[in-house]
Amino acid sequence: MTKKRIEVVNIYSNDKYNYLLKKNQGKFDINAIKEISFFKMDIDSLKELNQNVLEIFYDSIIQEIYQKDYTIPANYNYAVEIGFRPGVTDNLAKTTIEALHLMGIKAKVSTGKIFFIESTMTIKFMQQFAREMLGNELVETIVLHNIIEFKNTNRFSNIHLPEVKLEAKFEINEINLNVSDEQLNKINQDRCLALTLKELKSLRDYYNLEDVKSSRKNIGLPTNPTDLEVEVFAQTWSEHCKHKIFAAEIEYYESDDAKSTDNYVLIDSLYKTYIKKLTQALAKDNNIDWLVSVFDDNAGIVRFDDNIDLCIKVETHNSPSALDPFGGSITGILGVNRDILGCGMGAKPIANTDIFCFCEPTWPDQNSLAELPVGLKHPSQILRGVHKGIEEGGNKSGIPTINGAIYFDRSFAGKPLVFCGTVGVLPQKLSDYTPSFQKKAKVHDRIIMIGGDIGADGIHGATMSSLELNENSPATAVQIGDPLTQKRMLDFIMVARDQQLFNAITDNGAGGLSSSVGEMATQSGGAIIDLARCPVKYPGLSPYELLISESQERMTLSVSPGQLEKIKKLADRYGVILTDIGEFSDSGYLVVFYNSELVGQININFLHHGLPRLSLKAKWSGPQLDKSWSTPSNKEYIENFDKNHLLASLKLLLQRSNIASKQSLVKHYDHEVQAATHIKPFMGQTQNGPSNSGVIWLYPHGGSADNGIAISCGLNPRLSQYDPYLMAQYAVDEALRNVVACGGDPEKTCLLDNFCWPDPVESLKNPDGEYKLGQLVRTCQGLYDICYEYKTPLVSGKDSMKNDFRGKTVDGKEVCISILPTLLVTAMSKVNINHTCTSGFKQAGDVIYVVGNNTSGLLGSEYLEEYDLINKKYLVIPPISLESNLKLYKTIYKAINQNLLASCHDISDGGMLISLVESMFENNLGAHLNIFGWENIDLINLLYNEGPGRFIVSVPKVYQGDFEKQFGNLTFLKLGQVTQNAKLRFENDNDVFINEDISTLASLWKKEF
Amino acid sequence: MSQPKFIILSGDGINCENETKLAFSNSNCEAKIVHINELLENPTMLRNVQGLALPGGFSFGDELGSGQVLSLKIKYKLKDHFNDFIFKGGAVIGICNGFQVLLKLGLLPDYKKERTISLDHNVSGKFINRWVTIYKHPQTICKWTVLLEDLSINLPIRHGEGRIVYQKNLETTIHNNLLKNGQIVFQYNENVNGSYENIAGICDPTGLIFGLMPHPEAYLYEGLNHIHQKEFFKKAKGQLIFDSIVHYLKNA
Repeated sequence: MTKKRIEVVNIYSNDKYNYLLKKNQGKFDINAIKEISFFKMDIDSLKELNQNVLEIFYDSIIQEIYQKDYTIPANYNYAVEIGFRPGVTDNLAKTTIEALHLMGIKAKVSTGKIFFIESTMTIKFMQQFAREMLGNELVETIVLHNIIEFKNTNRFSNIHLPEVKLEAKFEINEINLNVSDEQLNKINQDRCLALTLKELKSLRDYYNLEDVKSSRKNIGLPTNPTDLEVEVFAQTWSEHCKHKIFAAEIEYYESDDAKSTDNYVLIDSLYKTYIKKLTQALAKDNNIDWLVSVFDDNAGIVRFDDNIDLCIKVETHNSPSALDPFGGSITGILGVNRDILGCGMGAKPIANTDIFCFCEPTWPDQNSLAELPVGLKHPSQILRGVHKGIEEGGNKSGIPTINGAIYFDRSFAGKPLVFCGTVGVLPQKLSDYTPSFQKKAKVHDRIIMIGGDIGADGIHGATMSSLELNENSPATAVQIGDPLTQKRMLDFIMVARDQQLFNAITDNGAGGLSSSVGEMATQSGGAIIDLARCPVKYPGLSPYELLISESQERMTLSVSPGQLEKIKKLADRYGVILTDIGEFSDSGYLVVFYNSELVGQININFLHHGLPRLSLKAKWSGPQLDKSWSTPSNKEYIENFDKNHLLASLKLLLQRSNIASKQSLVKHYDHEVQAATHIKPFMGQTQNGPSNSGVIWLYPHGGSADNGIAISCGLNPRLSQYDPYLMAQYAVDEALRNVVACGGDPEKTCLLDNFCWPDPVESLKNPDGEYKLGQLVRTCQGLYDICYEYKTPLVSGKDSMKNDFRGKTVDGKEVCISILPTLLVTAMSKVNINHTCTSGFKQAGDVIYVVGNNTSGLLGSEYLEEYDLINKKYLVIPPISLESNLKLYKTIYKAINQNLLASCHDISDGGMLISLVESMFENNLGAHLNIFGWENIDLINLLYNEGPGRFIVSVPKVYQGDFEKQFGNLTFLKLGQVTQNAKLRFENDNDVFINEDISTLASLWKKEF
Repeated sequence: MSQPKFIILSGDGINCENETKLAFSNSNCEAKIVHINELLENPTMLRNVQGLALPGGFSFGDELGSGQVLSLKIKYKLKDHFNDFIFKGGAVIGICNGFQVLLKLGLLPDYKKERTISLDHNVSGKFINRWVTIYKHPQTICKWTVLLEDLSINLPIRHGEGRIVYQKNLETTIHNNLLKNGQIVFQYNENVNGSYENIAGICDPTGLIFGLMPHPEAYLYEGLNHIHQKEFFKKAKGQLIFDSIVHYLKNA
């Protein structure tokens, strides 16, 4: 073997790293930066790389290639070399190995980047720059040189490839659980098990049972559980997998007086009481017949079409995204894609939706930098990394990103929330006419693992996400996704499904094989696997690591022995690694071998049903505003209304991160691959009109010709500080409003609930756990009540429960940052693609209305984040009227289907005026508004309150009569008309309040994130 | 000729094969999606078809440069079968990633000569998805645009490496040569990615091999326009690219 190093330099520069430059307001003093790629290789037999081989690495028209030192332009005074740490996914290296293989060359390859930098900064600041802006030390090695030193490194001859070196440690350890509580806690902590004492004790009690002991003895296993067995229990019993808090028995008190027990309720599982029950009750009371499979599979499955079924799932990937924003989010999106692939007999992903909650990226600035706790990434880095991961994950998989939102609040500085969702389609029947939503692993079926190799990556991912973050959170939980491997697997699964080559499928997500095989084994009644057969990235992994590793891009299939040869051949053609690791049985046990040695035997019934329930207390005693851990910004006091304030506040609000256009981020997502995206994130002649939801045409995916679905979301975390009950209802209302505004049928709409919460279990270090659990109960109640009224079933959901960060600031001040309790609601609605609507005005002369009840109250609004009002009468949250809202939504649906509306835009963040201004952007059409009798500070309340259940619509003049008749029993208010003149003109009978060019307003709104 | 037959390549990260197939099917020809490895197993399939489409996507994850490894795979694994197909006048379209493959293979601008053109990273350094207006060059000899009567057409671009670059220091000669031969097919109406002379698509000297960065297969119906349309199913201009070649081959 010969070691080689190649560097590839682009001839033409581009602006990829311009944001880092000082002249572009970069945080660091950087004058110029240039990126070079390098390849380090260990190649068999080849002495020299000939030109044909070199052509793999570069394109001679746009690149130069070097195998020895070359002249570095004299202006650069630093070089930063960034390579991957051993074992970290290196996609460029993987492809290079494949390319070399095409030429019959075997090689080990590792890749990375060199940045040449021109800067006057000292080496200390350069180091900070490199760590913060260029690499992530959790997954990469970052080496900084001054340029002279760099030239002397002899890098072209002195070549080392990163390599995982594990001691060959095939060992099975017994774990003695018959020890003191203190020692149990220590085992729990040392092994990162994330179990409670009660859970460990119930595990101990199980292993102490006489018949368990004797049966273990018979097969030659120790009486104590093996480390492998304990790890499998820890994975399966993790909060992440078993949702223990949602399943807990909760004593709930609701009172202003925390001691009172008057309003005491015992809740037998939040999930059963509010989520599952809601859907069951709705289905029964309203004869909903389009729910195919809910709460059973990887995703909810509904029937909105004659040929296909739709499945939808939203997941979170918060902790990994906090540690490595790029790796965390790309594995998040690829992971939820696999949920869809593993749904039913394998659904095809057709659209992604991504929602983030971040701390605003402009904070902290140089003056407040000390307020950011040590160990936390700067919010701007998190935003950039998460965005890039979602971009690569979606684009490279060929799945359009059609909907999303970004919500900013400082409370997300400790843990960002990264919600990744995917919609998939399933044929209703397979080729033998069996329904494709059902699956069953049969006794004697082979257990087949497909996808990537296993490494140490992601070990303890499931348990880590069930813990809070601290400075010492394990880096092994971080991984990078490989979209190519997954895309090949996707293509393969679709063909294998249509040829009916497998009987069941599931994804290897949290907990790895232990979860996927453990779950499928419940279908047949048992399983035997041999871990020694698993393909590995490197040797030395111990059996338990193989079993719980969360190495990405893997799925598990159940295949009849008779189909084995056929499926192997197909996998080969599709470039998919397929391994037969064992057999499904009906023994009642998951039996684990490593070669011929028995390393564990787990009772499947106990694994899935032996988990003791949590008993928790919750109380709701009215709003408690979060104690601020950072310095709040100063707000301007508004005493009186004047028209200057109106224009000034409009301009300020348009720029607020929660209101401003996210196009600068969204335009980097492919939102129309698969050529079925009817309503895209930004529409119109200007391509600036923000859409309420994404609409996918189903015909290209096997659906009926006129059929489509709208996907939207709603969230309002800030309201959870005041009333979580309303927070839930606002989220549902917003999600429903958004699909309805595009032509969604409110009677064919399903919802998903995703809860992200700060730790709701009270303990010494978490003294207000009961209150946070109380907030969770209130949220579930609000959710139940509104969904029941709206008749919108919940079909899938997920919760993430430990979204806190505990650490210290530079000056040693202890900080705990808890997120705002957040419920994200995702809606999917059936639409007729011939009758849809977008947010923007279409034609001058059309009449503009606000429809829905104009309620009062500015509490929780974006306006109140910028300004303080002296007049306290506005410090309430606008109420929500479920009954009239539902009537309105049905009427809007009807009106869109009768083509009465030229545009329809939901009113949410920022209120009515913001929504109206946004309606002008799609086609650059102005608005002339005249509101008689409105003046003074009430106008602020009218224009900026964020009360739900309202839309801005425009109606062609010829339909004005029809429209007013149709909406006769509902509240609507005529505001003015659409104008060709691209201006917002706003007046009452005696004064002009606003007369502003759209271009001015648009330039404020179009923010560069 | 009766119905022309087309192969649409898939696999290894290609991801626009289904909509590309729909486009050909709408043009009344036989179109079949074939996995690249299936074609390698059975390369004589190419003898029975008149056209080949290399759809958009991220072949090999775009690692080592867009289209780079797929072009090597075709070059080293499909070899003579592919050359025969080209030599016999097979029609080829490369869309986005497929265009990148055609350039890396040297099929464009002229497979009989040295490679002189490539696609580099957008000047912005970023992947971008937006709709652009492109103009058909009035002198183009491209057979994939013969039915396109209007000179301008709106299509989405979805790429990170779409900037046309000519061999350094030979830019003017190469460009004039392409112009003279009618090989410039489409130009953007503005600078969207830093392409030389805003070039969006070119063809070979026969006009049968055609590559472009924008996605005509994403605009087969007005309902997929970025401007909201009332008539979803009205035929859109992207379809005319596929209609053109089918029309040409039927009448050739």
